[in-house]
Amino acid sequence: MNLTDQLLAALSLYGLPVLFGVIAIAAAGVPLPVTLMLVAAGSFVELGEMKLWQVLVVASGAAVLGDQIGYALGRWGGHSVLERMRRRKNGEAKIAQARAFAKRWGGAGIFLTRWLVTPLGPWLNLTSGIANYPWGAFLIWDVLGETLWVVIYVLLGKFFSGRVQALLDILGNLSWVIVGLIAAVILAWQLLRSLRSTQTLDQVKAISRRLS
Amino acid sequence: MKHLGRKQWFAIVVLALVLLITGLFAVRTVRRAVYWRLHRDEVIRPWMSVPYVAHSYRVPPPVLYEALGIAPQAHDRKPIKEIAREQNISVEQLIATLQQAIARERAPIPSGSQSPSPGRSP
Repeated sequence: MNLTDQLLAALSLYGLPVLFGVIAIAAAGVPLPVTLMLVAAGSFVELGEMKLWQVLVVASGAAVLGDQIGYALGRWGGHSVLERMRRRKNGEAKIAQARAFAKRWGGAGIFLTRWLVTPLGPWLNLTSGIANYPWGAFLIWDVLGETLWVVIYVLLGKFFSGRVQALLDILGNLSWVIVGLIAAVILAWQLLRSLRSTQTLDQVKAISRRLS
Repeated sequence: MKHLGRKQWFAIVVLALVLLITGLFAVRTVRRAVYWRLHRDEVIRPWMSVPYVAHSYRVPPPVLYEALGIAPQAHDRKPIKEIAREQNISVEQLIATLQQAIARERAPIPSGSQSPSPGRSP
């Protein structure tokens, strides 16, 4: 029996406490098969072994708690890292940039990494903490995103109950497709920007050649 | 486009690679989804409970309990690996027993059986 089977067996036997523990630990940054737990919990709801509202509340609560731990680690544990960065050349400016970025994109980033690009979630918790992203806003985006995440996968598990293993295999592949597409979009955008700046540079050179 | 720098070529190569890998994963996802629709049976794993297996294979739970020699239980969450341990057999043996019971349940009723299904001509 591998770890996944052990966790699922424990979830089947003990229910909510296992669901809470596994999701909170995973949200804080330990890689555990949480999507599988949610889908399986949805399946157990359909079987009548768990109650839907209890699963939704406990799972969302656990995820939010785990994320706060990650944020706190970044915010207070990250200070030694922050000090070291500050002493570097241009350190102060870089930190200011990171904070500005987190303030501008933080909300959408936090929201999307809760349910769509979940592998990045624990990292964003840390960097939000390090960047001193306002905790109140972090909490609101976090609660919204995690609730959506829990609802999606528990309901998927409920509707495809009895097909947990098969569903998970497909979802695992799908998450890589999503990550790949996002990476492609970012790369293409940066490439386009860099091509445009090269064009302008060429134009400037041409003009200066004509002038001289 | 004549003045592409080394960095830009590098970015184009990386972008092509990312698109290629993403495409492969997309194809794999679709193929698995299709396969899954055609072969809908879930593989029986040690974490599953008897009611879960029964639900997954659409057979009545008492059939499986009978095959295992246990009295049917309501709200049974015990994983089959626990049942295997209690019965001192390997999980593989127990899964084989379940699969046989499922196959028997699904097999067409032999001719001359005492309970012909209504509405069907022999």
